Parts: sequence; structure tokens; C-alpha cells
Amino acid sequence: MPDDRFGVGASLLRKEDDRHLYGRGQFVADLQPPGTMEVAFLRSPHAHARIRSISAPPEARGRVFTAADLPRVKPIRVVSHSAGAKSPPWPPLATDKVRYVGEAIAACIAPSRGEAEDLAAAVAVDFEVLQPVIDPVRDMRGSRHPVHEHWGDNLYIEHALEGGDIDAAARAAEVSLTREFRMRRQSGAPLECRGVLAYRDHRLDEIVLYASTQTPHTLRVALAEILDLEERRIRVVAPDVGGGFGPKARLYPEEIVLAALALELDHPVRWIEDRSEHLLTAAHSRDHHYNVTAYADRQGRILGVDAEIVVDGGAYGLWPQGPYHEAGMVARALPGPYMIPNYRARHYTVATNKTPLGPYRGVGRPGACFVIERLVDEVARAVGSEPNEVRALNLVRPQQMPFATIGGLRLDSGDYAASVRLCAELLDLPAVRQRQRRGEPDGRQVGIGFATFAEQTAHGAAEFAARGAAIIPGFESCTARVLTDGSVVLMVGIQSHGQGLETVLSQVAAEELGIDPARISVRHGDTESTAFGFGTFASRSMVMSGGAVARASRILRDKLCRIGAHLLQCDVAAVRCADGVVAGPQGSVSIAEIAKVAHLRMDGLPQGVDPLLDATATYEPAISTGVFSYATHGAVVAVDPETGFIELLDYAVAEDCGTMVNPLLVEGQIRGGVVQGIGTALFEEIPYDEAGQPLVGTLADYLMPGAAEMPAIKIGHLHTPTPHTEYGMKGMGEGGAVAPPAAIANAVRDALSSIGAEVNETPITPRRVLAAIRRARVAAGAVRS
Amino acid sequence: MTAIRMHINGVEVADDVPPRLSLADFLRGRRHLTGTHLGCEHGVCGACTVLIDGEPARSCLMLAVACDGREIETIEGFAGDRVMEVLRRSFHQHHALQCGYCTPGMLITARDVILRGRAGSERGIRDGLAGNICRCTGYTNIVTAIAEAAKEVPDAG
Repeated sequence: MPDDRFGVGASLLRKEDDRHLYGRGQFVADLQPPGTMEVAFLRSPHAHARIRSISAPPEARGRVFTAADLPRVKPIRVVSHSAGAKSPPWPPLATDKVRYVGEAIAACIAPSRGEAEDLAAAVAVDFEVLQPVIDPVRDMRGSRHPVHEHWGDNLYIEHALEGGDIDAAARAAEVSLTREFRMRRQSGAPLECRGVLAYRDHRLDEIVLYASTQTPHTLRVALAEILDLEERRIRVVAPDVGGGFGPKARLYPEEIVLAALALELDHPVRWIEDRSEHLLTAAHSRDHHYNVTAYADRQGRILGVDAEIVVDGGAYGLWPQGPYHEAGMVARALPGPYMIPNYRARHYTVATNKTPLGPYRGVGRPGACFVIERLVDEVARAVGSEPNEVRALNLVRPQQMPFATIGGLRLDSGDYAASVRLCAELLDLPAVRQRQRRGEPDGRQVGIGFATFAEQTAHGAAEFAARGAAIIPGFESCTARVLTDGSVVLMVGIQSHGQGLETVLSQVAAEELGIDPARISVRHGDTESTAFGFGTFASRSMVMSGGAVARASRILRDKLCRIGAHLLQCDVAAVRCADGVVAGPQGSVSIAEIAKVAHLRMDGLPQGVDPLLDATATYEPAISTGVFSYATHGAVVAVDPETGFIELLDYAVAEDCGTMVNPLLVEGQIRGGVVQGIGTALFEEIPYDEAGQPLVGTLADYLMPGAAEMPAIKIGHLHTPTPHTEYGMKGMGEGGAVAPPAAIANAVRDALSSIGAEVNETPITPRRVLAAIRRARVAAGAVRS
Repeated sequence: MTAIRMHINGVEVADDVPPRLSLADFLRGRRHLTGTHLGCEHGVCGACTVLIDGEPARSCLMLAVACDGREIETIEGFAGDRVMEVLRRSFHQHHALQCGYCTPGMLITARDVILRGRAGSERGIRDGLAGNICRCTGYTNIVTAIAEAAKEVPDAG
């Protein structure tokens, strides 16, 4: 029975809050061991150049480190088992060439960051500037100076995915629509930038590396390999992490260099990334180009989709997964939650002289959702239907589950059309239509748009093996320990970057052990105290780590019951563990008493039962191709056709993530994700000029969503527990960010329907809205081009 | 180096600082008051907001030497401050924080929004938070937490 006070399903308030509300959180930049020296990196000002020489002033000796000064550091190299994948070596400090603006060249050390930056400014580098590769569509097959010279071309990987008969669909189609789409390059931009502190612990003969990372255990794997150190001599700690969202789930040159410096020097070293460095060098994301044709019949039934997908992967592959997964995920997710029978996707991941591309909340899914949902609306327009009618016509039905999409994803459960209806209710669709008929007194035009998606979450071994990954994040781990007084510690291999795992994982253990979560501590993020785990990404934490906690807790519960039954002198089948006790037919014994026996008074243990209450378990869901959350998002916008300015009037999410362990936190994740998705839709962009210079460097020119321009976000829930996980949970951390670009673009299209303008590019800036309006008026002959 | 003297959270402190040291770096590096966070160091994100002589200010844009003789209040302070106490509780109850990085600046700004009598409407609260970025929550719960806190201290504005 779920315990509704604090177990699975309770909106328990967070354990994490107290320290942050009093400014007592502990982020990397808050750690200042005595003698710490600050590191600033000298970075490339050029997108593409050969390094002829590097010279530091004589007084900088021993304080400026280039690749030549750290010979034990090997290049980062991603392994991919996908056919034809090319993997360039990436020296953490540039050797003969730089390939993007911001690439690290030297580490400069001083007592303060300001002095370290002064030192970096005193280092002279002689560059031979080369023409950069900027346009992935134009230059994928080759360019004057390829990013990696010996390749000949600029392709990391190309691949095709085909199902059904797309040519037959094209012949049969009564409606055929071709569109180009763009989802521009952006930053994940957690509020805390990256940071690393490294020092040598001589007593333990190890390097200690604190990092703002989502993946401490795999970071250790990489450091050991690249620095040729045994893992036992490296401890990685992720303390409080101020948001990650994907970019902090990758290995970075700075982490390697700081660890190498700690090996060389007799004092701690610290590098705290500033915002400009973050915008320049932390993984960029999105940057998709699409050319897509949809085929449909006269009712709006989609017969086929033919897609060309180009992803701008940047200059190098970020370890461990490289640039390969983004385009593949887009290709597989693009058919969405629909019964599309014929499909062809050709996708290309291209090396350019830009910052390496990495995952950001949703990874390829926001782009895939943007494309298919825009097309659904255009098909509806072409056949004269309401978009949601065409949506419902094509959505996979509950009785078809499990359903294999033409993209190769196995949808497991749910009623997708119900989410469309619920979302339309939350926004009161008829009232919006009525308002549109009335018109706005200020001349603005109101529109409403929807987008539906199913999101693969908590995928395990089968999925990552299919992607050709060399590292397969298929499980999570938990060591659960009852201490001598009956209090509990959960040591988990996962990491929390702010989403509240200390609270929800204790709820899972509370559910299994019948112990108040207030008596349970969760330890994470430290390779010293936790069993191996992969970390937090891919909407996996609650399903994977929660599953591991449930399994470890059950092992302990069984042992508590055995000892308790012995103490109560009754059969083990007659006892149950709840409310802090093991209760039998006559009387009960507290967990604390049992714990005392298990540790301090082993003369009370039954025959054949070992002392200690300590269990380690791992968990992978029963199905490793992923369980699918789904949602429909809806947006209501007002567009000013004179200025192109968009106001978000209303926003709603109707979603189903199965069993919610903590509904309060689930809704927090959804709202946070939605606002990040709104950032993708309307504001956030890192443009590059033809010389390969990024044109944003501060939050004054990189716009992030603020409270003033965000609406309150409505949420409605559907509940279809999946049969494949503990408690029926489905992952949901990323979903909020997936649909906003699609829903908002559809709303803008709806608002501008009388003009016939559509914006198929994010962010949908006022300038792009005005350009779309002008294009539509030119096409209609209303104005000259 | 320049000699400075100021009150921080009610305690008088004196130090010698380089002229280019920001107030934020002074608070964090010299005074170990690390609750004041740096999210951009150019005055946009608001995570480093503190009170200087009772007014909210960006400690990343303020030089420590410019604070000579002034009263500074950081998130570690506010002992006995009724509005801050109510806000902290309300942020907890309404799940108005996730990673906690923006929270100190949010709380100090929110307190000011309430004291200026701007917390009576959602619009007033949202506009009042225009200078504070939160990347995790989507703001809805922050706005609710401030609105509910304001109701508890009707005389504060």
C-alpha cells in the first residue's frame, strides 16, 4: 500500500531547500582550500588556425602550462561503433591547430582569477589563420580547409533510415508539402557555470577533483584513461550543482587539465568558468537544418514523410557519446507518436569550426517535434481541418500499444488523443476561437497552437547499443544502509543537479521500509562513497535510480523481517515492515532495535543471518528500449504584425508520466522545462559570423526567459503507469522542453493565418516574424519583393 | 591596496583590498560568505543581489572599495527579519527553488518587491523579478511563493 504521508505519490516538501534558503549550499566555487591558486585559460580568438608558436614572458615560467608542459595528457577520443563514424582526437590543450573560437591553448595560474587573466593576456601566440568551415549544409562534402584535414570531407557520420515505401506514398498522396526548418544553435546555460577544483590528497595518495558535473563516475573513468592513472587514485566529487540540463553531462578539457595540474603542483588549483566562457566553450546544442516533405490524403491522414536532417556538430566530439546521437535521435523521433506508414530520413552530422555540440534537455527531440508538429498543422491547413482533428486522426491509439513507430521506437502505453483533448480544455479552445473572431482592439492577432510528442525515457542497454555507443548507461546503483540506530543512508551512483533526488529517492526507500524520509539521508555525486553509476541525463534518474533504491531497500526489508521475526519468536511470513517497526501477530520490534542487534548485539541474530544491514542493488527497467512519457502542449499568443513582437498569453501542458513519486516535483520539472523550451522557441541563439566568430558573449545579448515575459503554466495529468518499471514510473525530466518551439510556432502560424505567414525557424524573433509576414505578402502579390 | 571598513550582516569588518576587487568577490573570497552567487558577473542574472544600505544591488558590479562605510546585508544575514522568514518558508512550501543557485538573489529581490508594495498582483511580482534569472523553475512557483508570502505580511508593504 502506498503511504500517502511520505511514500510514493506524496508531494513531500524538499530536503534540499533549507541549505539554499540560507545561502549554505556548497557549489564548486564556494570551496576554497588553503593555498588554492586560480586558473584562467588562454583561448583561441580564431575559429580555424595553425599555431606557429606560443611564447610566454620569462616571469611566467612555472605559471603558464601548454600542451608541451603536460606530456602525460592524452587527447580526448570518442569511440563509436556506428559504421562510418569518424572520431577526431581532441587535445585538451591545443597543439598544432585550433578549431573553434574559445578552444583552450594554455592554463595560466595566479593567486587570483584577475591576475591569472592578466597572465593569459601576456602570452603571445603566432597563428596562421585558415578559412573556417561555417555552413554545414554547403561544406559537408568538403571545403578548402576541412576541420580535420586528413578526412577530406567534413562529415562525422551520415546515415539513412527507411521504412515502408516512401516513393509509393509520394505517388498516392493527394497532398504534398515541402518545408525547410531550422532550429538554431543555443546554450544550455545553467545558472551556475562550470567549475573545477583539483588537489592531491597525500594521505590517501589520490587526486581529488570537485567538478560541477552531472556524471562524476564516468568523469573518473575518463580521467583515469586520459591521464593513465588507476581509478583508485582518483576521487571525483560533484557537490551542489547549479543546474546542468545536459551540457554538464560531458567530459571537458578543463577537467583533464586541472587534474593534470594537480598532479604537477603542490597546491590546489581551481578554475571557475565565467559566463562569457560558458557561452563560448560549454557544449552548444540544437543547430539543426531540415528539408522535409510530408505526404497525406485528402482527409489529412499522413502517408509518408521524407526528411533530410543536417546537424552542425562543431569542431570535436564530446566524450563519451560524441556528436553522433543528436541526428540519429532526431531521425528516429521525427515520425512522432503517429501511425505514419512510410518514412525516409537521411541524416548528416557535420564538423564545423564552432564549439562542440552536446546534449541539452530533450537533445534531438525538440527539433523532431518542431518539424512533425508544424507539418501536422500544415497538412490540416491544406485539407481544411482543425489541426487537432488531423492530430487525432494520425495519433497511435491506446489499443495499438505497444506500437512500433516507423522511426523504430517502441511506444509502450498511453492515450495520446486524450492529452490533446485535455490540453485544449485547459486553454479553453472555443473561447480562444471566439476571441479570434472578435479581433483585438490593439490590432494584434491572437493564435493558438498545439504540439504532441512521446518521449523515450530511461532507455537502457538495448537502446544505447543500437546507437553504437561504446559506453552503455543501462543501469543505476544504490547501496542502502541501516545504521545502528535505525536511521538510513542511501548511497546512489546517480547525481542530482537540482531536481530534488535527495527528496524523492528517500520517498522510495520510505515506501519500501516504512521509515519516515526524515530519517533517511541520500548521498550522491561522490565516487568515494557511492557505487558506480552513470549520472543524471536522458530522463533516467527517477526510473533507474529509484528502481535501484527500491531493490536495495527490499533486500534490507527482507533482512529486517527475518531478524524481527526471530526477535518476536514468530514465523517470518507473519511479520510486516511498516511505520518504523516490524510487526508480528503479537507485538512489534522497532527498526532501531533490529539495527542494534544487527550491529552491536549479534547474539540476538537468528541462525544463518549475517550481521550488518547493508545492501547494494542495481536496476535496469524490464524493457531497455525505454518507456514513453507523452504530452500535448498548447500555447496562446498575440502577435503584433507591425513589430513582430510575440506575447505569450497562455500555456498549458497535458501530460502522462505514469506514476508520479512526487507530484509537486514533477510539476516543477515540467514548468522549468517548458520555460527552457520557450527560450528555444523565442529568445536563445548563438549566431556565428562568416569568420566563425560567435556573436554573443554575455547575457545582455544571449537572451534568457525572465519572469516578466513568462505566463503561468497550466498542467493537467493523465495516469497510465507503465508495466515495465518500478511503480509504473516513466521518466519526465526533459519533456517540458520538447514541445514549446512546436506549439508556439503553430500558435504564431495560427495568429498569422489571414496573412498566410509561417515561421519555421527558432528562435522566432520579431525580425523573423516580420520577414515571414513580408514573404507571405510578396507571395500573395500584396507587396513587391 | 585600499583600506575599507563596512558592516556586513551587522558586524563591522575592516580589510585591505585591491581597487579592482568586486564586492561579490570580497564577500565570497575574503569573508567566506558564499551564499552570494555569481551567475554572469555582468549585472544581468541577479544571483549576486545583496542589500547595500538597505537597497538591492548587484554585488558583481559594485567595487568593494566603493562600499567603504556602508551597510551590507547578504543572504546569510536577515536574522529576525520577518519578511525574509516568511519568504523562506513560502519558497519551501511552494517548491520555488530547484538547484538553489538563483535563490539568494531571488529572496532578496522578492523581499524588496513586497516591501515596495508590488506583490499584490502577479504582474507586479513578475515585473519586480525582471532582473533575476532562474533557469530551473519556470518562475510560476516563485511568483506564487511571493504572492502567498505577501499575504502573510500585509503591513510590510
